[in-house]
Amino acid sequence: MFSAVLATLPPWLVGRRTLGYAALVAMIVLPLTANPYWLFVGNTLLIYVILATGLNLLVGFAGQLAFANAAMFGIGAYGTGLTQVDFGFPFFLAAPCGTVLAVGFGTILAFPALRLSGLYLGLATLAFAQIAQWVFMHWETVTFGAGGFKVPPVSFAPLPISDAKGLYYLTLLIAVVVVLLAANIVRSRIGRAFVAIRDGAVAAESIGIDLLRYKALAFGLSGLTAGIAGALYSGLLNFVAPESFDLFQMMMQKAMIVVGGLGSIAGSVIGATLLTLVLEALRGVKSWQEIAFGALLLGFVILVPNGLADFLRRHVPGWREPLIHPAFSGDIDATTTEPVPAPALPQIGAIGAEAITPAAPLLEGAARQ
Amino acid sequence: MLAYLILSGITTGALYALIALGITILYKAAGTVNFAHGELFMMGGFLAYTFVTMLGMPYLLGLALAIAGAFVFGMVTDRIAFRPLIGSRALGVVLATVGFAFILRGAARILWGGKGDYLALPPLFAPDPIIWGPLIILPQQLVVIGGTAIVLTLFAAFFRLTRLGKMMQATADNAKAARLVGIRIEHIYTLSFGIGAAVAAVSAVLMAPLTLLYTDMGFALFVKGFAAAALGGLKSLPGAVIGGLLVGLIESLAAGYIASSFLDISAFVVIMVVLVFCPSGLLGGPAARRV
Repeated sequence: MFSAVLATLPPWLVGRRTLGYAALVAMIVLPLTANPYWLFVGNTLLIYVILATGLNLLVGFAGQLAFANAAMFGIGAYGTGLTQVDFGFPFFLAAPCGTVLAVGFGTILAFPALRLSGLYLGLATLAFAQIAQWVFMHWETVTFGAGGFKVPPVSFAPLPISDAKGLYYLTLLIAVVVVLLAANIVRSRIGRAFVAIRDGAVAAESIGIDLLRYKALAFGLSGLTAGIAGALYSGLLNFVAPESFDLFQMMMQKAMIVVGGLGSIAGSVIGATLLTLVLEALRGVKSWQEIAFGALLLGFVILVPNGLADFLRRHVPGWREPLIHPAFSGDIDATTTEPVPAPALPQIGAIGAEAITPAAPLLEGAARQ
Repeated sequence: MLAYLILSGITTGALYALIALGITILYKAAGTVNFAHGELFMMGGFLAYTFVTMLGMPYLLGLALAIAGAFVFGMVTDRIAFRPLIGSRALGVVLATVGFAFILRGAARILWGGKGDYLALPPLFAPDPIIWGPLIILPQQLVVIGGTAIVLTLFAAFFRLTRLGKMMQATADNAKAARLVGIRIEHIYTLSFGIGAAVAAVSAVLMAPLTLLYTDMGFALFVKGFAAAALGGLKSLPGAVIGGLLVGLIESLAAGYIASSFLDISAFVVIMVVLVFCPSGLLGGPAARRV
């Protein structure tokens, strides 16, 4: 009945894309009104949006059960921090260095992924993540050990903007770019190939999809986003320590994409937002944080297996859904006689409509290429 | 030095073997891995602490109740986090059990976390170390090795001699055929979760007097047990035992001869090496590829 009320309103007012635009506007306006704490929370949230989007490409679309994203995140942060501290690089040179490092390690992980799948891949990447964390902790001459190290704050000196707000807007810009990029990737040949690999690696190979290339691409892309997020995270905290990149971090990122929706870019954004806010609200009470987090993960996997994005897709109309939305009935002819042209650049709110659900059949994905 | 390292390696290896045994039993029966296994292990240890130290029950009764409690927790894991997901993708089951693991860990932190970080469970016998040449043997180490041997014997007998054990084997061999001859395989899955958790609890109550109990212990032990099970091929009970002993020995020798910090990491290195070079493990047989 909620959707019945929605259906009486014009689509541009209530459509999913409107929600996306509203969220974007809210994030743009946030620094003007918020205190430093909320600015920090908003910035953390955006970093998790970047992380979850990349992880969803790997896990939700390419179907690789990998547990190494927190390690990539850490490698990005350590790479960025250490090049600043050891070589005196400015942040804007150090961040690409850290990102490249994360992409490199991420791509290397595609090689075990060629031989392993499912649980075994999960186990191997888990081992990799633990080894990476151990290196952060025990290679003291380079990583400063378990205590971590301080990173100089990111300076936006020539611009008339404070460091915190500058970093916030930089993160927002990168998050928007990453989300749009991911949304375009999943509807391109690459994204279709990911889905084909997820639904059946052998079948995908038989229709000419190069497994090494596309698995490396999936791991590389998630490494890229994790590396960027790590670089921004080191700039946000001005401090890098191994415990930020532990198993909880990994599971939190996994939970974000499950809660939002596996195989949905909009879902990554929604899940990252929800989880960040819930865990931030319970910060300081570790036991309740764990229980809330576990219950969210368990509840969504069992009760809402396709995530919040799917829920939105079913209950909130999109801008381009004439058959559902009576207000659009005048346009039906125009939209049904010829295929709806895909927007050149999908906007945040529209992505949910285009996302491929995990149940999307393989041949459909292949045929649309 | 070497003898001491081997002794402690075998002791911890025996504990890993029990954890790996639980993982293997479940994997054989239900084809999945319970990521809450380590937390069930932790619950077993804390239940024993509650019964023996907090409630002052007789030692063996307390341990038996703790193991029974873990058995129930294991079955609950199945009903909550596995049965609704039978037939769905591996990722769903993994994440559901991870979620359940975090709930258990948070609950344990609330129930037992406030009393100092590490809790001690008394050993079965008075801790009078036996000095034998250069070796100092803690009686609890013998209890661990003996207890593991008893559990392993019981398991071998259970699978060979009892109807239930044969039903579990049939389900592991071919779930469809087992269902055709009238075995309720969902019940076998529930039972496998319970047995896995009970074995983990045995390992926890044997280990607790040697180390200590803390709420975050579960994951590390789970991963080591998983490494042991993977080393043994994930489908072979003798393989799990051999894998457990090997992981224990490797860990102990690496910590003794390289650096003590290698204690934490050697199991992961073993996992990486095994999975990359020999994915079917030592006793796993050639892996069939499902198309």
